[in-house]
Amino acid sequence: MDWQQVPTLVWESAKLGILPALFGLIISVPLGILCARWKWFYPPVLSGASVLYAIPSLALFVVLIPYTGLTDTTVIIPLTLFSLCVLIPNVVDGLRSVPEPVRQAATAMGFGQWRRLAQVELPISVPIVIAGLRVAVVSSISLATLGQLIGVSSLGYLLIDGYQRAFLTEILVGGGLIIALAVVCDLLLVLVRRMLTPWRPPRRRREQPEAVGDPVPALAGGTP
Amino acid sequence: MGARPEGHGVITFEGVTKRYPGGTVAVDDLNLEVPDGQTMVLVGPSGCGKTTTLRMINRLIDPSSGRILLDGQDIQQSDPPTLRRGIGYVIQQAGLFPHRTIEDNIGTVPLLIGWGKSKARDRARELMRLVGLDDSLARRYPYQLSGGQQQRVGVARALAADPPVLLMDEPFSAVDPIVRATLQDELLRLQAELHKTIVLVTHDVEEAIKVGDQVAIFRPHGRVAQVDSPERLLTAPADSYVESFLGFDRGIRRLSFLAASGLSLDDTAVISASLPAWEAAEQARRTGEPWLLVTGADQKPRGWVAADELRPLPREATAGDAQLRPYGHTFGVSTDSLRAALDATLLSPAGRAVGVDDQGRVVGVTSYERLGAAVEAGGPAAGPAGAAGAAGEAGEAGAAPAAEASHTGTA
Repeated sequence: MDWQQVPTLVWESAKLGILPALFGLIISVPLGILCARWKWFYPPVLSGASVLYAIPSLALFVVLIPYTGLTDTTVIIPLTLFSLCVLIPNVVDGLRSVPEPVRQAATAMGFGQWRRLAQVELPISVPIVIAGLRVAVVSSISLATLGQLIGVSSLGYLLIDGYQRAFLTEILVGGGLIIALAVVCDLLLVLVRRMLTPWRPPRRRREQPEAVGDPVPALAGGTP
Repeated sequence: MGARPEGHGVITFEGVTKRYPGGTVAVDDLNLEVPDGQTMVLVGPSGCGKTTTLRMINRLIDPSSGRILLDGQDIQQSDPPTLRRGIGYVIQQAGLFPHRTIEDNIGTVPLLIGWGKSKARDRARELMRLVGLDDSLARRYPYQLSGGQQQRVGVARALAADPPVLLMDEPFSAVDPIVRATLQDELLRLQAELHKTIVLVTHDVEEAIKVGDQVAIFRPHGRVAQVDSPERLLTAPADSYVESFLGFDRGIRRLSFLAASGLSLDDTAVISASLPAWEAAEQARRTGEPWLLVTGADQKPRGWVAADELRPLPREATAGDAQLRPYGHTFGVSTDSLRAALDATLLSPAGRAVGVDDQGRVVGVTSYERLGAAVEAGGPAAGPAGAAGAAGEAGEAGAAPAAEASHTGTA
């Protein structure tokens, strides 16, 4: 096998994993906001996203080839559509995770609707949205390998080439690299989340907030 | 009502009703005036419309009919976000923004009205000191603070842009009793300094009596039963509903409003520790006092001594050599209430409590007889039977009689 092409394949795979998730996010945020605002809007959107997700990726590639040819776009469009199935619910859940007292306090402080959304609700949704993004990126990386079947190169090449040549090492290397890429992307997203949300309690200590400089200890043990 | 001086924070409800689509009436023809610079507490059982009433003031809820005036202006005419930036709002569990540091939480409204970041932060530090929060907490996030600290931040945030009006929705009900009592005291201290118009909602009648200049007691379904000063409520509840809502010990609680200075204290039972024991015993025999309070050279209390235990002491002994019993809680003659004096008396082993001056020096001791006389001088508490007259006199509170009259009409 040709080790020279591995870096290129990794790069292609990363691109085909990350771009669809990003495009999916760009579509999901406004849709999720609308779904959170108008409850009736959510079920049809969710059904729509599920129906899209149910379409086999290969079938979508084939449908798109006459329009977009044998390019990355032909892979990116279906993967973007698939990512909506996880991203929209996570945006909605994220917005719904804003505690009611916080929302109410924001309104009562004099935030207008849009300002409240931008400065309070969306920042608080970040952890849940990123959780969705992690799923979307990992699944896109793995689904993107199928693009190889229509000639869009990625680490999938090693799998298919190895299979055709009955070359086990190549298959194992390909599979290992795909898993490694997925893990690295996932860890990067965890890092991004940590950087964006320094305000989140570390999980272990959530039950007992540390009291500093309060002459009166909180006997009831903090927030519920 | 026109006689009242104009202020920045007068809130007036004129015939305000809130009816929900299902037909539920949350607030029913409310007439109420919150005077400028005073604390009005709305208290009642859950579902009585007190929170709805509060939220109508900053237009989180709009009334179905009637008008609400803030400083003479109909709030229905104003843009809600602009109106709200001029009204501080404190809620249960603080409702802090979890993603903002303490200083940025406090600076929320200043930032909204365009003060700029550094001015907002300076103001936040200033307020942290005002509400008793250490500067070191400024850069922390809400989850790192205790419930009581979070609530202080909530109060600081509400005060940040120096609004004339402060709305507090069950501000202290999510913290434990000890922290709650501290926060209530702090609120009283702040209010003495700031003179905001405060509307505070609670279901805790004890809290209402403690922090309110005026208390409005709500009945279920959004009707006001009585609006009065805490003292008047305890003395003259308008009817049996108000009486039962106040609880059975309102007679005792009323003593909170009678000053201990009205008590005549006994100083013949107070002796110096250097007094020879036999002289002290002789003095006890003369006055018939079973207990004497021994004081030090600084005139501060040292303990009780039983008259019986002085007699067997050797001739050269002084009163200070006798076995002293703890004197327990003292009360401040010029600062505390009759209730504190009674409480201290009930807890004392001698059945007498020690009244002290500002420096902690003994002024004299109580006895049940003397307490009884002071209570009697304070005037009897009228029951609901005498309420017809009392409610008539409640005109000072303005809304109570009017509200009562209109309620009988709608009932």
